[in-house]
Amino acid sequence: MRGAASLWRKQPLPFACHSRTFVSDSTSKLRIFDRQRKRAQRDRAAWSTPLHDPLLHSVAQNLLDRLQDCKKTFPTALCLGGALQPITRSLSAPPANGGVEKLIVMDASYDMVQACRNAYPASPNNAVQKEFLVADEEFLPIKESSVDLVVSCLGLHWTNDLPGAMIQSRLALKPDGLFLAAILGGETLKELRIACTLAQMEREGGISPRVSPLAQACLIVRDAGNLLTRAGFTLPGVDVDEYIVKYESALELIEHLRAMGETNALSQMNNILKRDTALATAAIYDSMFSSEDGTVPATFQVIYMTGWREHPSQQKAKRRGSATISFKDIQKQFGSQS
Amino acid sequence: MVRGSKEVLQKAAKTLTDILVCPLSKQPLRYCEESNSLISDAIGVAFPIKNGVPCLVPTDGKILEEEDASKHDSDTNLSALNEESHGRSA
Repeated sequence: MRGAASLWRKQPLPFACHSRTFVSDSTSKLRIFDRQRKRAQRDRAAWSTPLHDPLLHSVAQNLLDRLQDCKKTFPTALCLGGALQPITRSLSAPPANGGVEKLIVMDASYDMVQACRNAYPASPNNAVQKEFLVADEEFLPIKESSVDLVVSCLGLHWTNDLPGAMIQSRLALKPDGLFLAAILGGETLKELRIACTLAQMEREGGISPRVSPLAQACLIVRDAGNLLTRAGFTLPGVDVDEYIVKYESALELIEHLRAMGETNALSQMNNILKRDTALATAAIYDSMFSSEDGTVPATFQVIYMTGWREHPSQQKAKRRGSATISFKDIQKQFGSQS
Repeated sequence: MVRGSKEVLQKAAKTLTDILVCPLSKQPLRYCEESNSLISDAIGVAFPIKNGVPCLVPTDGKILEEEDASKHDSDTNLSALNEESHGRSA
């Protein structure tokens, strides 16, 4: 009982200063994420990310597998932020890359773009022409109807205005162009979130959002479908995959998140993380979630979204009430046969 | 064949500028050789080209001094940019 009581003990909550900054920010525009901070984190990630990150690689593969299901080819492709290198690698190999002839690689971090450029230098015998560009997904500098394919691999979940960014991607697409995106969903890092909350309640007597931005406002599959429709994409498709990554300890998990540039960038986050809170988080994580072989698992939920820009050749649902045959008749017809 | 490859490079740069527009006003960009930057005439902002990579993040842009007239006639997004650059210079 005593332990439980100390877990819930009340202390003055360190929220006062945060609420003030939130008010001043919300006057102009709702700002959930600090894009400038995210840019700096991605600059750092450009130097520490391994060339073949297995998680990013498998997500990118899974995302680009969808191209093989299309009969259409995509001569001009735009890669919007996120995992640049796996996407660039897959799209520049001629077989099974959706017929991409020209690839525009874009990211908000200059160092990330430069690292990708150094890893895949232009060579005359390479069929795929690559262009590099530093730009923000929220302010897409691409002319209307100019690309055939937009791919975003684990980048869009950091945008403040996700529908806005998706609408801009749709406008950049040619008619019958394809939009492919993978974003992290609400179940991502649930173990870390639980551990953080418990450690903060125990050590500081209150909680501040330390991991929750990755939760992306608990985006679920239905929301993703709504997002695609709201952004005006036709033939929307959504599916979800969960990856469980095993780490030696919680500290390796944090290192991996840093190398991917996926650490917290909430604009009203608490900038101070006390050492003993961090260690308590790691200890709680290890004790609550470690498996029999001594590793600790971390869940990454990835939501894959597919959408097309409108084109007359695409199939459409008929107007409501335009049917000439009743379902009852169909049932009679086929019901009597069986 | 050096000249040929140079032409190819120039052509490649040109195909990219054909696709690019100003991130804020979505109006065409003009390439300025002198300052090696892409200029959006609609809002009077110059975006730098670093090492052959155009940087079109709104906060990277610099407001051009001489174009006072065209500064204020663009859309609402510009006010955000103005605020940010004032904040930086202050």
